[in-house]
Amino acid sequence: MAEEKFDCIIVGGGLAGLTAAYILAREGQEVLLIERGNYSGSKNMTGGRLYGHSLEKVIPGFARSAPVERRIVKERLSCEENGMLSTVEYDSSKVSTPEGESYSVMRGKFDKWLAEQAEEQGAMLVYGVRVDDVILRDGKVCGVIAGDEEMESDLVILADGVNSLLSHKLGLKQQTRQDQAVVGVKEVIGLKEETINERFQVASGEGVAWMFSGCMEGCDGFLYTNKDSVSVGITMQVENIHKTSYSVPQMLEEFKNRPEIQALLSGGSLLEYSAHLIPEGGMDMIPNLYGHGVLVAGDAAALCANLGFTLRGMDLAVESGRLAAQTAIAAKEKDDYSAEVLSDYQAALESSFVIPCIQGAEACRSIVESGAYKEEPLKAFNDIMEKQNIR
Amino acid sequence: MNILVCVKQVPDTTEIRIDPVKNTLIREGVPSIVNPFDGYALEAAARIKDTNPDTKIVVLSMGPEQAKAALKECIGIAADKAYLVSGRAFGGSDTLATSYIISQAIKKVEEEEGKFDAIFCGKQAIDGDTAQVGPEIAEHLGYPQVTYGLEAELEGDILKVKKEVEDGVEIIAVKLPCVTTFTKPAWEPRTPTIKRKMAANRAQIPVLNEEALAGIDVTMIGLKGSPTRVKKTFVPQRKKSGIKIMEESNKESAKKLFRLLNGAGIM
Amino acid sequence: MANKVNVAEKLGVNKYHTDEHNPHIQVDKEYLDRDEIERVVRVCPAALYSVDDNGTLFFDYLGCLECGTCKVLSEGKVVEDWNYPVGTKGVEYRLG
Repeated sequence: MAEEKFDCIIVGGGLAGLTAAYILAREGQEVLLIERGNYSGSKNMTGGRLYGHSLEKVIPGFARSAPVERRIVKERLSCEENGMLSTVEYDSSKVSTPEGESYSVMRGKFDKWLAEQAEEQGAMLVYGVRVDDVILRDGKVCGVIAGDEEMESDLVILADGVNSLLSHKLGLKQQTRQDQAVVGVKEVIGLKEETINERFQVASGEGVAWMFSGCMEGCDGFLYTNKDSVSVGITMQVENIHKTSYSVPQMLEEFKNRPEIQALLSGGSLLEYSAHLIPEGGMDMIPNLYGHGVLVAGDAAALCANLGFTLRGMDLAVESGRLAAQTAIAAKEKDDYSAEVLSDYQAALESSFVIPCIQGAEACRSIVESGAYKEEPLKAFNDIMEKQNIR
Repeated sequence: MNILVCVKQVPDTTEIRIDPVKNTLIREGVPSIVNPFDGYALEAAARIKDTNPDTKIVVLSMGPEQAKAALKECIGIAADKAYLVSGRAFGGSDTLATSYIISQAIKKVEEEEGKFDAIFCGKQAIDGDTAQVGPEIAEHLGYPQVTYGLEAELEGDILKVKKEVEDGVEIIAVKLPCVTTFTKPAWEPRTPTIKRKMAANRAQIPVLNEEALAGIDVTMIGLKGSPTRVKKTFVPQRKKSGIKIMEESNKESAKKLFRLLNGAGIM
Repeated sequence: MANKVNVAEKLGVNKYHTDEHNPHIQVDKEYLDRDEIERVVRVCPAALYSVDDNGTLFFDYLGCLECGTCKVLSEGKVVEDWNYPVGTKGVEYRLG
């Protein structure tokens, strides 16, 4: 049998890789996706909340069949100033278009579902294989290497996650600096669906995304409601480990031990403990997104927007997967996988929401970091509350 | 060399939880896996193939249609071909009936694949834990058997099996054809490769039902052919669980352990 | 100082396919900078790095959550080499 050659090999079965695989297979390309875990999602973790708009473009109405946990209808932000905790709530239930919705998701379930959709389109998905390197000939990427095995393709899409060892090996990506990465640690606490509805004052199928800022030196807290569990965790810029005497697990414990959090979680049992890095270095961290025969997508491409209180990555990953697939389709039509042709991918990301979102995030973040929101309205609010407290 | 590996799809028992209220097993949503001991049997076959490249490895499973997933997993790791034994008439079979059906299926598969020199099984399945089907297959076929194998090596028409015994290992030479059951060796079974996984995705797995096994004695299969009667099932009394010693320092922990053992009159 | 957290107990609820024969992270146990070691010990979400009373560094790769935080903090220092576990091995998130 002649050695098989694929149009495209995708490394990594997360949201970026699966979206690309889905579209390429649908368009009739021979596509092979290789995932090191035993199923898609088995190595992935989110806080987390998926903004649906980008996947909506690929699979319209996906949330009707996908295993989403709850539709986010309430966003809460709690800020602590001088030991006073104030909470504001933003009602996002008014958003009525599918494009505007966001959902709490669990990647172990959600990615598995998306993988099934990609397989149905005809993508070849291979699990349990770690890709160790790429085949490089005359500066062109010609496939992948796993153990002593080689697999050839016209194009390789690296969607191998935040630590993307492969794009680093290829010289597309720099070593991640401590100020560019945020570590997220999460516990999933099992609670009855009704208990969650009651405690968070939501209906079944509806949920809350809740951020905590300033509660602790160097880290933020988060809380998301799932169907019958609550995700509770903290995020900390890796660099901040220099500024604290706490360990990362201790920070999470401290956060969980806050009385208002304890009240929400009481009676629950730990279902899973997970951790993940978030590429939060903004435009500065984005690697070279393309080379001869290669594209980089998702977390591997550091496509993540830190909006001060919220981090967006999954919807950017989906969009980058979609745009990578579009670029691959055009390249196949031209039968030209040169860097010049593949540079269209970067242009597409720039004219999509992805790059503007990351750029805009910097402005958004600087407002948060300036603390202006605290100084004015929140401070005024706190003052009023305090002054009312006359005995 | 022609090796048949018998595998069973089992619930991942590490994933089964106990309902704290009803005190029953929660089987819902429990993933199915290849019985780990069967995985060791497959690995033993793969190691023979490593040194004897003209070896063919065929896997066979008895179970519902979903068991094809387990067979595909075996192809992803080392197997060349796979067969599923599945039929309504086989339902309710105990270990005796199951081993009879499998021995009949082996004869049928041999028409297609040629005679098997060795039949490898896991020592037992992690769901039933009987350790009966492997040895019973040997009896039905009239083959010699070695149980609790760790490794197997081919020497001409002799299979040298390193076998686990209570206080060490024995090496037993057995003439082919034979049946060997395997237990957990000291090494990790191999992980899949891309090409094997692709072959697994594409594999068409033939199903052998009661019609395919013409000449099978219907009185020896299914519920009718199963003399096993379950007299009663019960939840064993929970043993008192151990205690965890975790003091501020290792030194403190050791001191506490000493105090406890001393108090119990052990030291 | 915060209380001791029993992280091992939390890892205990997770599912792992342990690879007892191939450590995927290599640690420099002779590394001299105590402050750096102390930071690595604190930064690991799975608390897999520890230092005993004699100051010897221990690292248990089997409970690894494969996040890469120690790599970002200390590659080329305490962390000599960092890779993912081989295919099928390591942590397997049921929920994620």
